[in-house]
Amino acid sequence: MTAPMSSSSATGPRTTVVMRSAVRILLIPTFLIAIATMLKGYADTGDGFSAGVIAALGIAIQGVAFGPDEFERLPLVRFAPAGTFVGLLIALSLAFFPVFWGYPVMTQFPLAGKHVIHFGTLELITAVLFDVSVFLVVFGFGVGVVSTIARAQRRLERTREREERARLAARAKRRARGR
Amino acid sequence: MIDGTINGTNPAMLLLCLAFLVPLAVTVAGNIRPRAVPSVAIAFTAIAFLTVLWTYTQPDVVFDREWAPTFGYRFTIALDGLAREYALLATGIGLAVVIYASVYIPLHLHHGHRSDAELTRFFGFLLLFMAAMVGLVMAQDMILIFIFWDITAIASFYLIGYDRDEPESRNSAMMALLVTGVTAIFVLIGILILRREIGTFSLPEIVAQPGTSDVMGVGIALICLGALAKSAQVPFHFWLPKAMAAPTPVSAYLHSAAMVAAGVFLIGRFGPLVDRYGWITDALLVIGVASMVIGGILALTRDVFKQVLAYSTISQYGYIVAMYGLGGHYGVAGVSLYVLAHALAKSALFLTAGSVTESTGAKNLSEVGGLFRSQPVLAIASAASAAGMIGLPATLGFFKDELFFAAGSARGTQYAVLTVAGAALTFTYISRFWIAIFLGKPKGDAKPLPMRLLWPIGVLGAITVIGGIWTVPFTEIAQQAASVIANRTEAVHVAYHLDTRAENIMALATWAIGIVLLLTRRFWWEPASAVARLGERVGPERICRSILLGISQLSDALHRFEVRDLRSRVATILLPAGVLVGLAVIVTPNSDAFEVGSIGRGDIPLITIIVATALSGIAVTIPRDHLRLAITLSCVGFSLCVIYAFMGAPDVALVAVLVETFFSLIFLGMLLLMPRRILRYESRPRAKGRHTRRDIILASIAGAMAFVVAWGTLSRTSQNTQMIDAHAALTPLAHGKAVVTVVLADFRGFDTMGEITVIAITLLGILSLIRSGRMR
Repeated sequence: MTAPMSSSSATGPRTTVVMRSAVRILLIPTFLIAIATMLKGYADTGDGFSAGVIAALGIAIQGVAFGPDEFERLPLVRFAPAGTFVGLLIALSLAFFPVFWGYPVMTQFPLAGKHVIHFGTLELITAVLFDVSVFLVVFGFGVGVVSTIARAQRRLERTREREERARLAARAKRRARGR
Repeated sequence: MIDGTINGTNPAMLLLCLAFLVPLAVTVAGNIRPRAVPSVAIAFTAIAFLTVLWTYTQPDVVFDREWAPTFGYRFTIALDGLAREYALLATGIGLAVVIYASVYIPLHLHHGHRSDAELTRFFGFLLLFMAAMVGLVMAQDMILIFIFWDITAIASFYLIGYDRDEPESRNSAMMALLVTGVTAIFVLIGILILRREIGTFSLPEIVAQPGTSDVMGVGIALICLGALAKSAQVPFHFWLPKAMAAPTPVSAYLHSAAMVAAGVFLIGRFGPLVDRYGWITDALLVIGVASMVIGGILALTRDVFKQVLAYSTISQYGYIVAMYGLGGHYGVAGVSLYVLAHALAKSALFLTAGSVTESTGAKNLSEVGGLFRSQPVLAIASAASAAGMIGLPATLGFFKDELFFAAGSARGTQYAVLTVAGAALTFTYISRFWIAIFLGKPKGDAKPLPMRLLWPIGVLGAITVIGGIWTVPFTEIAQQAASVIANRTEAVHVAYHLDTRAENIMALATWAIGIVLLLTRRFWWEPASAVARLGERVGPERICRSILLGISQLSDALHRFEVRDLRSRVATILLPAGVLVGLAVIVTPNSDAFEVGSIGRGDIPLITIIVATALSGIAVTIPRDHLRLAITLSCVGFSLCVIYAFMGAPDVALVAVLVETFFSLIFLGMLLLMPRRILRYESRPRAKGRHTRRDIILASIAGAMAFVVAWGTLSRTSQNTQMIDAHAALTPLAHGKAVVTVVLADFRGFDTMGEITVIAITLLGILSLIRSGRMR
C-alpha cells in the first residue's frame, strides 16, 4: 500500500496499471507465437519444447503482474498441470500403439514415402502430434511450477500477516494493561 | 541327467516355483487375515516338503533356459543328489520349525505386547529363506547361485533382527549381515575369476574342465572363504553366538539346518574343484579343526542355553569342514550323513531350549534343573536328539561319528586323535546341556507346555532314533549327495559291528573321555573360561568391531563436514569430481588432444562474447545478496545463449534463451519464499578466513579440470559427422525440413519420450514438496 498506483488486492504486487494492461494484452500474442513455433517446427527452428516454454512464460508474467490471487483465477493456470500428464499419455500412446500393429516402438506415421496432407506448412503426421504432447508436458510443467510457487508465497504472506496482527494485538494488550 | 520335461512338468522348476509360492502365500494371507498366517505357512511348507520327498521318485533333471545371453548367464537349475539332500533339510526342518513357531511366535509377540500383524514378517522371511535355500541348492549357474546366496543373507538379516525394538537384536542382525554379506563379495569375486579362467558361468561345465591353475585356485579359495563365513567357522564364527538374539525358531532353523548349512553346501557344490587343490583342503582341515576345538571349549563354559548350542554349531560345522579337508571316501560320505544327522538333532535341541524358556522363563543353565519330573515328554524327546548329537548307538548320530572316525583314521594317527578329541568335547557339552536342564534338583516351577511346542521335538528325536535302526533311507540320501560332491559314484555303507575295529575303539574312547571330562569339571573350568575371556579380549569380534567403529567415525566426520554449510556441501561434490576428472585426463592417452586452433578476423565477435561470458562468470563471485546473485547468474546463461547463436545452432539458442528466462523467474520466485532471516544471515559480510582460501583452492581445482576436459573435447570435434549427415539425408523421408526437430520427434523420439517423463516426474516432486511437504 505504499506505492501510489498499487493494486487493490491486499496481497497483490506493487505493479503499475501500464504494466498490468500490457501483460494482459500480450497474453494472446504469446500464445499465437507459441503455437506457431510448435506447428512450423517441422519446417523451421522451434519445436514443442520451445513452444511450451514460451507459453508458460506468457502465463508466468501474468503472475508477476497480477499477484498470486488474481493468477490463480486464470482457468489455464488451474488446468495446465493436468496437461503434463495428458501430454505424457498421448506421447506414450504414440510410442507404444504401433507395437500392436507390428511396427517398432515409436514409429511415426505416415511412413517414409507415403502421401502427407498439408495445410500450408502444417503437415498432418504423428510426429507433429508427438510434438504437441511435448508442448503440453512442458507447458504444464512451467505453469505448475509457477503456480505452486505463487501459492506457497500467498500462504507465506498470510502467515506473516497473521503473525503481524498477533504481534500488534499483543502490543495493544500490553499497553492497555500498562495504562 | 535328463534335460527336458517329464509329463509336461519339470520337477526342478516345479519345486522352485512351489518353494517361492510359500512366502508369497504367507504375505497374501497376512494382508487379508494376520491370524491365519501360521496355518497357511504350515500348509504350504508341508506341500513343499512333500514335493521334495516326491522328487526322490524322479530321475535327476535339469531345467535350462536362456537368461541374459549377452553376459553369458543361463537360468539353470538341476535336481541332483546334493540338491535333494539340502532341499529336504530346508523344507523338512523348516516344516518342524514352522509348526513349532505357529505357537511360539504368537506367544513371543504376546509377551512383548506386539500385534499379530508382525506374524507375517516372521513367517514371510522364514519361508523366503527356505525358498532361497531351495533355489540355492538347485542352482547350476554361478550367478544364480550368488543371487540365491544373497537372498538368504538378506532374509537372515530380517529374521535375526526380528525383535527390532531391541538394540541387541538389531546389532546382531547387522553383524551377521556384515560378516555374511561382505564375504559374499568374496564369493562373487571367486565366481568371476572362474568365469575368466574357464569362460563360462555354468558349474557343470567348469567341473568337466580338467586341470588346475593358480588363479583358479585363488577363485575357489575365495568362494570357500565366503562359505566358511556363512558356516560360522573360525575366524568368522563370532556372528553366530550374537545371532542368538533372534527368536528361538529362527535359531533352530537358520543355525542348525539352513544358513550355516548353506556354507558347507557351497563347499560341497564346488567339491570336485576344491578337491583338486591340496592347499585348499589343507586350509579347510586347519580351519575345521580350529573351529571344532574353539567352538567346543567355548561351548563348555557357556551358561545361556542358546549360547551353548551356538558354539556347539560352530564346533559341529568345524567337523564337517574338517571332513572336507580330510577328503577321501569317508570324508565325502561323512559330510553328507553328518549334515543330515546334525540338522535333525541340533534343531530339536534348539527347540528344546525354546520350550524350556517358555515353560520356566529361565534362559541360563544355572537357573534350571530337574525338569525331567515336570516335563518327561520334553526330556525324552530331547534325550533322543542329544544322544544323536553325541553319537550313542541306536541313533543316526552313531554313524555320523563312525564315518568321522573312519575319515580321521584313514588319514593318519594324529588325525584320529583330533577326531576323538573333538567328539569327546561334543559328548561333554551336549551331556552337560541335557543333564543341567533335566536332572538334578528342581529349581522354580514349570508351566505345562502346549502340544505344538513338544511334538515337533518328539518327531525330530524319533527320526534320529529311527535313523539309528533303519539306516537305508539316510544312507541313500547321503550316498546321492556324496556322489555329487566327489563327482563319482560314492557308496555309503554303515552298520553296527561288534568287533575291535578302529572306529568302535575310537567311539568307546570318546565316551570314556567325555565321561571323565564331565566328572572332572573342577579341573578344566578355569582354563576353559580363561580361553573364553581371552577370545573376548583379542578375538576377531573385537577386531571387527573396531574396524566398524573406525569406518563409522570416518563416515560421521565426512558427514559433519559435508552438512556444515552449503559451501562445504558444494566442496564435497566439486573436489572429488575435479580430482577424478583429473585422474581420468592423466590416465587417458590423448597426446593430440590439446590443440590451439588459429584465430581469424571472423572470430572476433565470437571471442568478444566468450570474453563477456567469462567476465560475467567472474562477476558472479562478487555480489553478496541473493537477488543480485541470481541476476548475475542469468547473465552468464544469456551470454552462453548468444554463443550458441554464433555457433550456428539456432534451435539450441532458442531453447537456451527460453529456459534461461524461465529459470531466472523461478529463481526469483524461490527467493521470495525463503525466510528473510536466512537470506540476511547468508548475505552478511564475512571475515576473510581460511574458509575463503579453501573455497578458492577447491574452485580452482574443479574449474581447471573442467577447462581441461572442455579443451580436450573441443580439440577433437568434427570427427564423426557421419551420423549428422545420415540424419540430414533421412529428414525428407520423415516429411520434415528442420533436422533438429525431426531428430527430436522422430529419429530419437524415444529419448524425448524419456525426457518428458522426467519432466512430469519432476513436476510431481515439486508439487508434493511445496504443496504438501515441508514448505507447507
